[in-house]
Parts: sequence; structure tokens; C-alpha cells
Amino acid sequence: MELLRYTQDVFGRKMLVGVNWDLVWVPVAAAGALIVLHMALRLWRQRG
Amino acid sequence: MSDREGLPGIRHKLAERLFHWLMAASVVALLATAFLPIVGIRFAWLPLHWTAGVALTLLVLVHIGRAGLVNGLAAMSPRGADLVEVGRAVLGRPADDLAPAKYDAFQKGIHVAVLLAVLVLVATGLAMLVKIDTSLWKRDPAVLSDLSWGYIYVAHGAAALVLLFLVILHVYFAILPEHRAFLRAMIVGRGPALARGGKS
Repeated sequence: MELLRYTQDVFGRKMLVGVNWDLVWVPVAAAGALIVLHMALRLWRQRG
Repeated sequence: MSDREGLPGIRHKLAERLFHWLMAASVVALLATAFLPIVGIRFAWLPLHWTAGVALTLLVLVHIGRAGLVNGLAAMSPRGADLVEVGRAVLGRPADDLAPAKYDAFQKGIHVAVLLAVLVLVATGLAMLVKIDTSLWKRDPAVLSDLSWGYIYVAHGAAALVLLFLVILHVYFAILPEHRAFLRAMIVGRGPALARGGKS
């Protein structure tokens, strides 16, 4: 997956226009994974 | 609204609580106006986005002023004991014997992370204001090259993704039962004086 988005300017040259918005799920998934990991660790420590 | 500043048990002064919740409102507005159109919910997001961004900028300036001139930076500055605390947390060991601190290592950590993300967003967002027409100025995108604008957009977008990650984590950790006293303190002011190294 591309990290950045490009377009073409009026001369046909490649032009950087920002972050690839298909990555918007990455912070949500990363935060979700960390939350699940933390909840599992809490549960494990409470039982131990 | 009574402030009760100076009374025992007041963890956060009214000004800090107002800053926190106004910043939260502006950040939610900014994230919503940034990401909802991307996931397919179409509306005129730009005026709301830049207005909320200007509001956030003003709030951050006031907060920096108060932090530097009124509250001081010491309580929120990371120290060696914070690294020890993180290590102990990873190992599941208590940190009660470490130097008492109003903010623990994790509170300082998310503050630094949000600070960096917001500063990048504010700086790049302010630059991007010259690309829109408002009642105060006309757009002038020619002040920077296309490549420079590209870098600014990348920095703004990347910082926005980081901020989204941090906001989700912040909300999760704030509502945990063991952190609820700190959440309550951010609403009513009264709460534990120390987050580490002492019971109050």
C-alpha cells in the first residue's frame, strides 16, 4: 500500500498531495490492538 | 460556577479544566471534519475544520502561556523516575516508592505525544489557511512551491493520524476504573493530588 498520495500537475509531473487516506484505519486498528492487549494483561494480572 | 481554587483536594484549576474540555471539543470537531468525509460522509467540512483549527490554536497559545507563566512546567516534565516507572509497569511491579509526582509517566507520555502532534497540526494548519478564501483574506497558494505544499499536507495528515490514535487511547485509559478519580478531577476539579508515589 502506498503511504503517500500523488497527482499530476498541469505539466504532467508527479505532485505530492498528502498522506494516503486508505491508511486511516491504521491508527484505529493500532489503538484497538493496544487496548485489547492492555485488557488481556489486566485480566491476567488480576487472576495471578 | 465555583472554582474553589486553593482549597485542599483541588487537582485541576477551573482554567485547566476549561482548557481541557474546550480542546477536547475542538479536537473532536477537527477529527470529525477531517475523517468523516474520507469515510464517505459528505458535508461542507472545510469552514468547520479551519474554524475549529483556529480555536484550537488560540487554546494552545493560552495553555502554553499559562503553563509557562502560571503553573510552571516542572510537574509535566519527564524525569528519570518516569522511565523507572514505565519499566516497573511493564514488569507488573509497584511504583509507590518512586518520587511523588502529580502526573505519572503515562500521563506525561501522552501529554508529550499530543503536544508534538498538535504543534505539527497547528503549524501546518496555519500555513494551509493561506490556501482558502475567507472574509479576512484571499487565497494565495503561490506563496510556496507545490513540493513544499506536498510536505505540509503530508505532515498535517500524518500528525492527524497520530492524534486519532492518541485520542482513542486517551479515552480508553481515562474511563478505566483505576483512573476514574483523575477523570472526575478533570470534571469537578477535586481529586488526588498525586498520580504516583503517595495516597491523597
